[in-house]
Amino acid sequence: MKDQWTDRLSEYLDGELAGSERTALEAHLASCGNCRATLEELRRVVGRARALDDRLPTADLWPGIAEHIGVVSLAARRARRRLSFTVPQLAAASVALALVSGGAVWLLGGRTHAPTATAVTELGRRPAPLINASAYPTDPRYAAQVAALERALQRGRSQLDTATVRIIEKNLKIIDRAIRDAQSALVADPGSAYLNLHLAQEMRRKLELLREAANLAGARS
Amino acid sequence: MELTIPGVATLRTDSDQAKRGGGDAEAADVALAASGDGSAFERLYRAHVARVHSLIRRMIGPDAADDVAQDVFVRAWTKLGTFRGDAAFGTWLHRLAVNVILARRTTIGTERVRYDDSENVLDGVAGRPPAPELSMDFEEAVGRLPDGARQVFVLHDIEGYRHEEIADMLGIVPGTSKSQLHHARMALRKHLDR
Amino acid sequence: MLTTLATLATFALAQQTDTTVPVRTGARLEVSNFGGEIAVKTWSRNAVRVVADHSSRDRILVDALDQVVRVKAEGGRRGPSQVDYVITVPAWMALSLSGVYTDIKVDGAQNEVRAETVQGEVSVVGGSGNVSLKSVQGSVTLEKARGRIDLNTVNEEIRATDISGDIAVETVNGDITLTQIESANTEANTVNGDVSYDGTIKDGGRYRFTTHDGDLRVSVPEKASVTVTVSTFDGDFSACFPVQLSRKSKHRFDLTIGAGSARVELESFNGDIHLCRPGQVMKPEGDHNHEH
Repeated sequence: MKDQWTDRLSEYLDGELAGSERTALEAHLASCGNCRATLEELRRVVGRARALDDRLPTADLWPGIAEHIGVVSLAARRARRRLSFTVPQLAAASVALALVSGGAVWLLGGRTHAPTATAVTELGRRPAPLINASAYPTDPRYAAQVAALERALQRGRSQLDTATVRIIEKNLKIIDRAIRDAQSALVADPGSAYLNLHLAQEMRRKLELLREAANLAGARS
Repeated sequence: MELTIPGVATLRTDSDQAKRGGGDAEAADVALAASGDGSAFERLYRAHVARVHSLIRRMIGPDAADDVAQDVFVRAWTKLGTFRGDAAFGTWLHRLAVNVILARRTTIGTERVRYDDSENVLDGVAGRPPAPELSMDFEEAVGRLPDGARQVFVLHDIEGYRHEEIADMLGIVPGTSKSQLHHARMALRKHLDR
Repeated sequence: MLTTLATLATFALAQQTDTTVPVRTGARLEVSNFGGEIAVKTWSRNAVRVVADHSSRDRILVDALDQVVRVKAEGGRRGPSQVDYVITVPAWMALSLSGVYTDIKVDGAQNEVRAETVQGEVSVVGGSGNVSLKSVQGSVTLEKARGRIDLNTVNEEIRATDISGDIAVETVNGDITLTQIESANTEANTVNGDVSYDGTIKDGGRYRFTTHDGDLRVSVPEKASVTVTVSTFDGDFSACFPVQLSRKSKHRFDLTIGAGSARVELESFNGDIHLCRPGQVMKPEGDHNHEH
């Protein structure tokens, strides 16, 4: 049932009718039962609309968003796909951020610390400086190359994601341990051709990994 | 499309913020996210995704909702620097979402056609069977409204925008917005009894 | 209805591009990707078919110019793309594949293969001439290739099987396993991992296998003519056939088999070094007591 006033009921409900129209409509409502019933239904529709529940999307959209804006989720995706990833809680952003700052410390690494094995373990969350030319036999060309790569890497560090930073850091530690082992062994046996060659090989490998990391950082900028 | 903050808060923003325990933490997250903190932005995403996604689903239907919602948050990330904090973040985000939705309306229409290989596949969305289905859920009934009436109903009665704002967004006159709203409400009366 | 809508949603999010371009003999393929996968297989047609699963936001560009087919995705200002490619090429085609968060798989290549990724696995069957496979965080696997072979990763293992040619393999943190090798010139080294070599020792050939923390297992055929130099700081040496060692220094000794024309250098700072016959060098399955 519909009359000339029905079309104005929504406006009336929303308080949008001017004074004279409003008075006229209220007068009509007093005598029109259908109009009152319709008005009540409209009121319930409005109430129902306000009470609608919001629902989450069926799939989590965050990984896709994170990928587009360049946050951690690509690494998280790799972590899910391959179990060999060492930090499965990469998804926890706070952890990832801590690693980023760890990476910064690593790359900016203070040269005043001696890179001893105890320093690495005791420093815990703050990684020991891994780039430390002064601890190696004083070959100025080697030291200069390491320093140059260190600077390049520092410039491009933000271009590397946390997982890559972590992997490079971990592998530089592995190489550094080999270098320290060779150096310690050479103290007892300085004339050993094998130990000298082994030290040289690991130092070369460190340079190559630094060079590769610097290239990766540069390639992404 | 210009991103202005509507003059009135939406109906539910304030209570949402109260539920989350106040806006201070959110304001901090907004500032952090604007400075590039992805985890702060993820917290904002988690707090707002249900509302944004529901808005999109109601406005354009479920099939492209995920895609559009993703787009809204990606744009929010890039535009966070323009958020001045003189309105609630949720209000700003919703206005952004509405803009994205309105900009996508036409392209989504063409995408549907492009990916549709059968004639009748979109009956429920585009054809809208005239016979009322009494068993239909209220939310579903909203989805079956004609485009114009549905958009006005969602923006006015669910999202809390005023007719002047809606008219401005949709490029119609306020009178049309009012009559579309009324038609929508009248049609939805049949689906109240649940 | 709901099913249909869900299907449509899938189409809107994940789109497939399928393009085929004709190529002339001598053309090469260059693919660059950011995230996802590049899978290349071969067929007998002189054409390249590119099937790409990608977001509807990205466009796949396939360019064929100057005998080079270039494949990449264009995502506009939304940033790098995540694309899964399956590309079918003539077997004679040279391949140059690169990615960042990309797995790379090649099957049936008969020409040069260059594959490079950062976080992803590289797995290639086939290849001849220069075959260069590289990752940082991801294993590298090569089978049935001949030529100059260069395999490189940082934090994962490297496996090569049924290879002939000159071979250079390097990782930092991972095992190296070389089996069915026909080579006069092989070098393989890692820092934290085992190295296994099962293959020929050719007269006059040069072989060098080194690790810091890990074991070496190397095959020496019965009739080989080889001088083996073994160096270790803190490891043991053993052989599954009788050998005569002569000590050269505190950490190094030699053994000579036959006329000794080939040179094999074996170095492990902390691990054990083991010589055996071909077919006997590989560790039994499940023996993974080496920690990385």
